[in-house]
Amino acid sequence: MSPLLELRGLGVHYRTDRGEVAAVRDVDLTLEAGQTLGLAGESGCGKSTVAMSVLRLLPKSARVEGEILLDGEDVTTMSWGRLRAVRWAQASVVFQGAMHALNPVRRVGDQIAEPIRLHGGKAKVSDLLDQVELPAAKARSYPHELSGGQKQRIMIAMALACDPRLVIADEPTTALDVIVQAQVLGVLSRLVAEQGIGLVMISHDLSVLASTCDRLAVMRHGGIVEEGPAREVIASPTHPHTRALAAAFPVVGDPAFRQVEPDEVRESSPLLRAEALSVDYRGRGGVVHAVKGVDLEIGSGEIVALVGESGSGKTTTARTLLGLRAPTSGRVLFEGEELPRSAKGLREYRRQVQLVLQDPTSALNPRHSVYESVAEGLRIHKVPGDEAALVADALAKAELRPPESFFPVLPHELSGGQRQRVVIAGALALGPRLLVADEPVASLDASVRGEILALLLGLRRELGLAALIITHDLGLAWSIADRVAVMHEGVLVEQGAVDQVLLDPRHEYTRRLLAAVPSTTP
Amino acid sequence: MTAPPLVRPSPRRGGGSGLLRHVAGKVGGALVSLAAVVVLGFFLFRLIPGDPTVTMTRGRQVDEAQIAELRALHGYDRPIVEQFGKYVGGLLHGDMGTSLFYRRTVAELIGERVGPTLLLVGTSTLIAVTLGLWLGIRGAWRRDSPFDRASTGVALVGWAMPAFWLGMLLSMVTGNLFPSGGMRFSSTPPDFWSQALDVAHHMVLPCLTLIAVVYAQYQLVMRSSLLEEMNADYLTTARAKGLRDDQVRRRHAVPNALLPTVTLVFLHIGLVVTGAITVETVFSWPGLGLLTYEALAGPDLPLLQGTFVVLAGSVIVMNVLADLLYQVLDPRVRAS
Repeated sequence: MSPLLELRGLGVHYRTDRGEVAAVRDVDLTLEAGQTLGLAGESGCGKSTVAMSVLRLLPKSARVEGEILLDGEDVTTMSWGRLRAVRWAQASVVFQGAMHALNPVRRVGDQIAEPIRLHGGKAKVSDLLDQVELPAAKARSYPHELSGGQKQRIMIAMALACDPRLVIADEPTTALDVIVQAQVLGVLSRLVAEQGIGLVMISHDLSVLASTCDRLAVMRHGGIVEEGPAREVIASPTHPHTRALAAAFPVVGDPAFRQVEPDEVRESSPLLRAEALSVDYRGRGGVVHAVKGVDLEIGSGEIVALVGESGSGKTTTARTLLGLRAPTSGRVLFEGEELPRSAKGLREYRRQVQLVLQDPTSALNPRHSVYESVAEGLRIHKVPGDEAALVADALAKAELRPPESFFPVLPHELSGGQRQRVVIAGALALGPRLLVADEPVASLDASVRGEILALLLGLRRELGLAALIITHDLGLAWSIADRVAVMHEGVLVEQGAVDQVLLDPRHEYTRRLLAAVPSTTP
Repeated sequence: MTAPPLVRPSPRRGGGSGLLRHVAGKVGGALVSLAAVVVLGFFLFRLIPGDPTVTMTRGRQVDEAQIAELRALHGYDRPIVEQFGKYVGGLLHGDMGTSLFYRRTVAELIGERVGPTLLLVGTSTLIAVTLGLWLGIRGAWRRDSPFDRASTGVALVGWAMPAFWLGMLLSMVTGNLFPSGGMRFSSTPPDFWSQALDVAHHMVLPCLTLIAVVYAQYQLVMRSSLLEEMNADYLTTARAKGLRDDQVRRRHAVPNALLPTVTLVFLHIGLVVTGAITVETVFSWPGLGLLTYEALAGPDLPLLQGTFVVLAGSVIVMNVLADLLYQVLDPRVRAS
């Protein structure tokens, strides 16, 4: 009997203005029913192209070579009619539902039922919702009324609508919080076990794949660099790229991933302090207490990680600390003095405390050169001195060397990691004492995460720069923070030294968070 | 570890009463704008040079005493605040004053002219919207095809052309094919069909001009909005489900891309009434636009104020309608 899915010498080329670009080269993969195959790699490695080619969903500019055998039938030579019959009925896709894979103005129930009607079957939306552990009433919701995890479940329910034999899940848990991620992965694994479907799981996060897959293939530059049983690939990676990927997602509790030297953590004077900080939002549905009585302290030269799920109030806390929001009650002290309320005083304060945002692509003006981006802050704050020299100095501190060669470059000419360095350089140019970084590496590829984190540590070592790092990633906290504060529903439930909080959590919520982190050690 | 509840019961959104409050808010806002229009209209036109009593007596021998008497009769000698009070008081009773030039009530004149304008603007908007949306959808779906390039180019040329100039050009080029002024010939038999045919015949040129000048924006907005939707991931989802290309377009892409266009169309219907001023003047179409032009040429203050309020009011009303319609069409707006 032929395997469920077999790729033989799959190659995909995109026609561009500059000739053909190979996106995927010579990929051979096999998947049996009831198995899970993981496809790992960074953005642009071709893993999504492989997934899309199985149902021939690639754009017109793509040229496919090799064979894609679905139950022994070659997809590449199918007629359009046959292909449409195969789509969703034999193989379906779970797109990254938290993003825009659902039609925003149609009820999710209708969207789940659409392929069933199309392929001639009876609508059983409530059964499908039941399988992904959602109440049937959710069928009447619109996508924007659902949380990220719920949308992802809707995507899974939709993929199961026509009882496919193969399901391809493309980054199904990216952008989800750890606890929700664990639930979604649980649902997927259960469906594979119960219904004997074959699952191809695509992710940039090795730990996600390790906890769900039987076999694992690691891709780079369009080709497969390593393939084998998941356990073996994780336990003893042979290719350096696999090792780099594994290293990018620190394992909480593993000393090998702890980048902070024990003697680096020293007693320091408090730099920024929040006392009984509360922030309320007035919405249409009444008052929302986003932050409830938070006491938080960041010492000079200290790296503190503020950890929590989305909606826990960590970003609101950060905005209040930056003086971008006035607290409803409580106060923020910088070097023992309360934050000024005047525009001028706040401007002076913000020179000392700089913000680094999650996505460097949207944080940089696409039409400003690197020089302009970095110099802007200097001009706003009317920093005295030679502007070009200050910009060069800031770029050098952010390890963009030689700095002068980056002056005229526009953001789109840089890699993601370099862009984040430019953002950090813009902050450094003002000579701040504290960096507030909101998910500084979440949008970066695995291999550059480590570099950016090392940069933050280096800045602390050399400039004594303190940092408040806001993240949902406990591994990140383990890797570079001195202290960690865990936030849940507006309350700081636990804080303390990293080893203490993450290795011996006292609060039930911290334990739940830690339990939900997918582990590379099965 | 016990699994947390997967779904938290979400608090019901304030259904009916919330919507009612929203509608009330919109209508209240519109009333405020309308009041501002009344105030602005009254004082703005007082700034126009020219004495209204001179307008009334144009072409006749009058002496100073007679002019003063006229002034007193129409209240132009009273303090401006008092005049305003009287004007607003009249408005509240539906009395917009009496035209100085026509010697008839403004309300009567406007009532008489609304019909032809609605006919002209309604017909041309309907055609322009249909044409623009269709061209926009076709262009976006086959982006950068010769059809897309050509139709966008033609639309832009029309959009760039001044309406009065295009109108004159059209009537010159078509020669005697279509009448280039008025709404009907006096010689036409009075039965309905002959009259309708005659009006349609007269309407060809003004209608063509209006369409040519406005359809470009419907086309361009539809095109760019569809292009944006076409990159959306949910269209890939739809394709993966096995939908044919035209089903993807009909069921998913076009309805969603239409949403921003709806607002534009409604906003624009309000504006077209104003925009018809030039076209109606060029073709002597006896509508509100021509009336406004005549009032302005006077200046015939009561008439000018009246048309101003009606034209601005139509923009405001359409704006409210667009808002409310959007509420019905887009569930995302309902939530926020």
